[in-house]
Amino acid sequence: MSIEAITGRYLTTEVEGTAQRIYFEEAGQGRPVLCLHTAGADTRQWRHLMNDSEITAENRIIAFDMPWHGKSLPPEGFETQEYLLTTQGYIDTVLAVIDGLGLEKPILAGCSMGGRIALQLAARHPDRFAGFIAIEASDFQPAWYDIDWFHRPDAHGGEMGAALVSANISPYAPNAERWNTMWMFMQSGPGVFRGDLSFYTQDDSLIPRLPDIDTQKTPVHIIVGAYDLTCTPEDAERTAKAIPGATLAVMDELGHFPMSEHPEGFRPFFVDALTKMP
Amino acid sequence: MIDTFGLIKDRLDQSPHLLRLGRLFSETVLIEVDEDEYYLTFDKGHLVSVAQGPSRKTPWRFALRTDAEALAKFWEPLPEPGFHDIFGLVKIGRGRVDGDILSLVKNLRFFKEIMAIPRSQKEAAQ
Repeated sequence: MSIEAITGRYLTTEVEGTAQRIYFEEAGQGRPVLCLHTAGADTRQWRHLMNDSEITAENRIIAFDMPWHGKSLPPEGFETQEYLLTTQGYIDTVLAVIDGLGLEKPILAGCSMGGRIALQLAARHPDRFAGFIAIEASDFQPAWYDIDWFHRPDAHGGEMGAALVSANISPYAPNAERWNTMWMFMQSGPGVFRGDLSFYTQDDSLIPRLPDIDTQKTPVHIIVGAYDLTCTPEDAERTAKAIPGATLAVMDELGHFPMSEHPEGFRPFFVDALTKMP
Repeated sequence: MIDTFGLIKDRLDQSPHLLRLGRLFSETVLIEVDEDEYYLTFDKGHLVSVAQGPSRKTPWRFALRTDAEALAKFWEPLPEPGFHDIFGLVKIGRGRVDGDILSLVKNLRFFKEIMAIPRSQKEAAQ
């Protein structure tokens, strides 16, 4: 029997004029590291790092569920809304969490769409952060699938989404963690994965902003898994090249959800990334 | 190749969880390997027949077209990147999915898991 060190609480705040009740978890003390989950998932993707006592000895690892995800409810009136994440809405949410939690220049670690927004924040709000760890992150990819598949009355979007994202999980991932990773997609609320993918696959506004990122002030380290079909090593390399001074690490045996699908395999890459941050 | 599909059929019949996943799947799927055609007919998740083509008379719901080398790599216990998933084959230009893709996507977990059966068989043999 054991009780984990992770604690969870709720932040009530306003984002773009809308009240949001945002669930966040944290573990550890010291340098704040704010972690962003992928599309269609939630904070549980980060649980292994939060339970890593060597990492949390010097780092306060914090993760939150985006509104509509995990334990963060959708806003009042959601029943008549179409959930579509936008770059601005995502940026405002991250900044509202930083303000709400009183974080002083955290490191921002984001995966997939979280990595994309980390790079947007590196370009647009670098003064709010100490550095950026962008995992499975790239400038832009159009969808290789139809995002409308994931929200239909005649099929289970969560099960379809999980089956689709399994294409991005490495065969080296331990089976239990592969399925834990997919479970989060299976649990995702109706239309939420689609709404996240709308941002991820349609907004290409990051591309012209990449050269503006000043890695002298805020380092950017990109990590990518070789089994990631969505953000391939080539996509990550292209992105890293467009950011003067950005560094890149390729993980040969990992996929698109490294911290969740294969925590042991990901750990050394994350520790290495932390050493590159101030 | 027919033997491999026979293995899929046998293992599927012994896997209640896969039959449960496929309980609404009663379709014919074309698997094209190089020039060879194989028509896999499912009834409520059971693979009831595997017929070798060519056939212009057999209707199919969706098709996976690939080559023998790519499929052999797909069935390795630890496939190389791209060969680890049917959409990986598509992405690296070694596979194509045609037809009613929505039917595939609705039954994606079922179809992927039954296509991956030879992978675990190979692993067990090693």
